[in-house]
Amino acid sequence: MRIVIAYKWTCDPEEATVRPDGTVDWSRAKPGISTYDPVATELARRLAEEAGAELIGVTVGAKGVGAPLASKAALGRGLDRVVIVEDDSLAEAGRSELAAVLAGVIWHIGEVDLVITGDSSVDVAAKMVPTVLAGELGWPAVAEVTAVTGQAGKLRVERAIPGGVQVLEITGPAVLAASADAAVPRVPGMKELLAAAKKPVELLDLAALTVPAPGAVMTVTSRSRPDRKARKGQLLDTADPAAAAAELVAALRGAGVL
Amino acid sequence: MDFELTDEQQLIREAVREFAETEIAPIAAELDRDHRFPAELIPKLSGLNLMGMPYPEKAGGAGADYVSYVIAIEEISRACASTGIIVSAHTSLATWPVYKFGTEAQHDRYLADMASGRRLGAFALTEPAAGTDAGAGTATAVRSGGEYVLNGTKMFITNAPYAEVYIVFAKTDPAQGTRGMSAFIVEKDTPGFSVGEAEHKLGIRGSSTPPIYFADCHIPADALLGGEGNGFRVAMATLDGGRIGVSAQALGIAQAALDASVAYAKERVQFGKPIATLQAIQWMIADMATQVDAARLLVYRAASCVDNGRPYSTEGAMAKLFASETATRVADRAIQIHGGYGYTESYPVERNYRDAKITELYEGTSEAQRMVISRSYLR
Repeated sequence: MRIVIAYKWTCDPEEATVRPDGTVDWSRAKPGISTYDPVATELARRLAEEAGAELIGVTVGAKGVGAPLASKAALGRGLDRVVIVEDDSLAEAGRSELAAVLAGVIWHIGEVDLVITGDSSVDVAAKMVPTVLAGELGWPAVAEVTAVTGQAGKLRVERAIPGGVQVLEITGPAVLAASADAAVPRVPGMKELLAAAKKPVELLDLAALTVPAPGAVMTVTSRSRPDRKARKGQLLDTADPAAAAAELVAALRGAGVL
Repeated sequence: MDFELTDEQQLIREAVREFAETEIAPIAAELDRDHRFPAELIPKLSGLNLMGMPYPEKAGGAGADYVSYVIAIEEISRACASTGIIVSAHTSLATWPVYKFGTEAQHDRYLADMASGRRLGAFALTEPAAGTDAGAGTATAVRSGGEYVLNGTKMFITNAPYAEVYIVFAKTDPAQGTRGMSAFIVEKDTPGFSVGEAEHKLGIRGSSTPPIYFADCHIPADALLGGEGNGFRVAMATLDGGRIGVSAQALGIAQAALDASVAYAKERVQFGKPIATLQAIQWMIADMATQVDAARLLVYRAASCVDNGRPYSTEGAMAKLFASETATRVADRAIQIHGGYGYTESYPVERNYRDAKITELYEGTSEAQRMVISRSYLR
């Protein structure tokens, strides 16, 4: 079986700061593998341990995604090889464009039985890429996946749904987005990390890749911060809850909220 | 001069920190409170190849460089100083002399198991009347046919009684003083070898350090490690490396105290604002951070000497001297920053404070380190 794990090399917004003009300063944020991608890797490793599989990491993005540290970080988590598209034209790429490039990479790899991604990326959290990718490939997409077992051509997938667990049987290739709490990723061992440098890294040229053409072009034309309404700072005396409730309702009506 | 960590060293730090924060930190206070050895952590540490990091893969280790190893000890100790010394004592004090001085047969019998962490090791040099003056030890090993017979007492033996393999130093020729000392590999459960009551200590309470006793303990002649009369040299060479591990432990303790102080200073509000806005606190943090960073540079430099095949006795002594005294100072300031709360078990800094002190004492006191350093300058 051939399993692709799509991962993102990016910065954690918790380490970024917001400048007074509203723009984000990423300069102090250290890049790393997006928080939920190791969960996807863990699900893939469990399936590979059960059924036998080649685990291929795939990532696309701007300069930096192909850095040795990034590849070793991915390979050190048990992947057999990584395939990367590193191109500065992807720096401002939207989710659809990134998904299209990922589709191109998966076609390039060939004979892929399964793609597993994280729930969402830690920086954007759009939750779109797995579904758009599946659309480009013509494969089913399943989100909130908590477990996957079986073998190529006959996968059993569990996913969390409100109030329970749904079990699916999938007979062909698919794109699965692992639920954020599907598994606790195993910590890489020292030998795994040290062996990462010896594993294959394939860097692809975006221009040479067959990428689905976009149906439309989206451009961000402007960004603005929402107007901040001044807070009234009105405190209610709650010694008498009934009177306080009446006062609250009157205040909300007066402000046009109710 | 490149002060940056390699990719592997960065990834190792992240992985060990991840393990330490999820598996070790949650039980650190309990280990301390209950004086409990974390037996359940040993197979997990071993599973991540953390119990013999600097030894070659073919010897059972991880094949990591020494800087990576000290980074791992630092990160483990940042979560729990007791666990840090368990790993360091096993790797640097017990496994190293077998690796360095062992015969092929001893390698076959012990090295893979020790370097992988399947068998825990301990180092038994100190005696009731022989601490810094290690050469004054009175434990004896008398040759009798194809055996040696051990008699004597060893004190403060880290990892006893959980260790299975003990490196024991005893006099084969007491009249020769330090030149009459020899090293032996002694296995747990050898008749005549027993373990005493656990010591109740100020700190590193999760580390078990009881005395061990030898009463007509017969061991095979091939348990001799490094040749008869070579024991003191084996011990001193071992401690040269072991003190780098302790310096990393001290660094981890200091970093934990600093991290806790920064977090507390940002949250604690007095006079209407966080105490982090007060210059008195800012200057304390600045001094603490500078000292921790200086300690880190010395520790990594000593480890780098090991990696580059350069002498490291003086550098290791400097690292241990400075890092241990830094840990004590920084932990003291951490309690000061935390105020009354720092004096309670509700915050971890009181444990950092109690744990720090031992790093100025074991594997060579600060005074012993000063002897090593001054000798290298004044000879």
